[in-house]
Amino acid sequence: MPLDQHKLGALFPASGEAGRRCIIRAVDVRKTYRMGAVETHALRGATIDIYQGEYLSIMGPSGSGKSTLFNMIGGLAKPTSGKVYIDQVDIAHLDHNELAWLRCRKIGYVFQTYNLIQVMTCLENVMLPMSFAGLDSEEARDKAMYILKLVGLGHRPLHKPAELSGGQQQRCALARSLANSPDIILADEPTANLDMHTGEEMIELFAQLRDELGVTIISATHDLKMLKRSDRILWIEDGRIVRAAKPSDVDFGAGDFH
Amino acid sequence: MSTIQNQVRLPLSVAFDVVMQGLRIRLGRAIVTLMGVVLGIAFLMSILTGQTIRQGVSREADLRAEGKRMLSFLTAEVGPVERRTLGVVALGPLNEMEQRLVGELRSRKVARLRWTGPLPERAAGDFLQPVGDAAVGQGAAALLVMGDGTAPDAGWEARLAGAEQRVVATTRRLQSLSVLPGVVTVCLEREWQPDEVATRTAAAQRLRFRTGWIIVISLLVTVIGICNAMLMSVTERFREIGTMKCLGALSQFVREVFFIEACLMGFIGSFAGCLFGIVFAAAAYSVSFGVGLVLASLSPGALLLHSVLSLTAGVILAVVAAIYPASVASRMVPATALRSTI
Repeated sequence: MPLDQHKLGALFPASGEAGRRCIIRAVDVRKTYRMGAVETHALRGATIDIYQGEYLSIMGPSGSGKSTLFNMIGGLAKPTSGKVYIDQVDIAHLDHNELAWLRCRKIGYVFQTYNLIQVMTCLENVMLPMSFAGLDSEEARDKAMYILKLVGLGHRPLHKPAELSGGQQQRCALARSLANSPDIILADEPTANLDMHTGEEMIELFAQLRDELGVTIISATHDLKMLKRSDRILWIEDGRIVRAAKPSDVDFGAGDFH
Repeated sequence: MSTIQNQVRLPLSVAFDVVMQGLRIRLGRAIVTLMGVVLGIAFLMSILTGQTIRQGVSREADLRAEGKRMLSFLTAEVGPVERRTLGVVALGPLNEMEQRLVGELRSRKVARLRWTGPLPERAAGDFLQPVGDAAVGQGAAALLVMGDGTAPDAGWEARLAGAEQRVVATTRRLQSLSVLPGVVTVCLEREWQPDEVATRTAAAQRLRFRTGWIIVISLLVTVIGICNAMLMSVTERFREIGTMKCLGALSQFVREVFFIEACLMGFIGSFAGCLFGIVFAAAAYSVSFGVGLVLASLSPGALLLHSVLSLTAGVILAVVAAIYPASVASRMVPATALRSTI
């Protein structure tokens, strides 16, 4: 679907820096959960650099620490040791106010289960992060309508999530993640609950966002279609990153792929 | 690189909107929480109203009993009063007890009262016969001196002229009339024995203590009930809270949402509870004492005071009950809240 470049320029201010810069850096990140006497080492030293404008996919079996790593680089939890730099700021030094700001302005989240607020309409869901950012309601409404049109939901702004199909809910969630013009979008299994056709549309949308707006997209996924469209794939196993490769270098038909 | 700023504190109106939208979808759950407040405050209010009604009713009963007692005292002095005349010297306006006495005299079929001095408000036809000061004793079995004022020192001989018996009965203790030559003076007012007074106050205190204890227990149960309902609500909404924190909501914001909800519940519930309490107490006591007496005993001043008290108590209780659930909600780590399973 055609995107209005001029309007987009207002929506997503250009970074001004030529070339790729490292937007997220994780250095020897470890996370240990302690439940009573039992210690679970979810991450045992993960190190990655993620560049701006990159479409990155993280793969790993359940229990491999994929979700934990995701939470770390998304500012949702702090590591037990090691460092996570988001836009060159060490998140361990941020207090909860600043972390909230980070989650509000810099990072957009898309979840497997959509996590839309059921009591609000589509439009209100998209406007919610804007009100957390202090935007006044007139501006917020205009921007929200624009973003909804962007993702293909311009004709259904006043429907509640219960009245939308899975694919439409995920589009709404994507629109919400774009509400405050973030630099990074974190997508946790975004296509897992969608059928193949809708999943493809979603992946197409992600690619468009990456191309036109320069948004960095980090997704945790098992979806082959998503993996093939990524710029880079990371494998995580047993709390460590075991492999990083471009899709062109990977044989998707091989038996030991997963 | 842009600097990281502090997240802006949002005005309460945003939190209020979130609360209203939440209540709309979760109306059933909200009503259950509301019921807790309504019942607790209704109980409190019905006890307070009941006390007011009981006080009013027992006062009325006391007054009537006093009137009867005074009459029997008088009868002991002058003999049965049926179909006889009594002279009344009214020194001023009558108090309630004296009014009851007049009513009692009437129901005992006293023929008439020859009345001198200011007439009472409800002067009943030919029962009260206004006469001049000197003629008050004509054909009277006794002279009754009542009312708010000082008794004249002189003129008693004239007043007693033509009386059947020379008896002067006073409803209040009047020094000046204690010695009149050749006249039997009787005071109808009862002398309260000190231990009687003590027993009465002790009994009232015990009653207050008992009801106070019951009220405290029931309010405690209310608070625990609200706390429980709110904790369930927090658990149910963990995903929603986690999502809002992901979108940039501060912990303070989450706490505000729950407190506003509790305040709202507290206010509406207390209001309804107040009304229910008053209606219930009035209805219950009307069964024993009759609607008229109950309505007469309900003083608007006391009702207003108790209502304001109950309303304040209800809101405070709801807010106190919300402290723990709100802190649980605000302390939720977004990552834990967004897992697919609880």
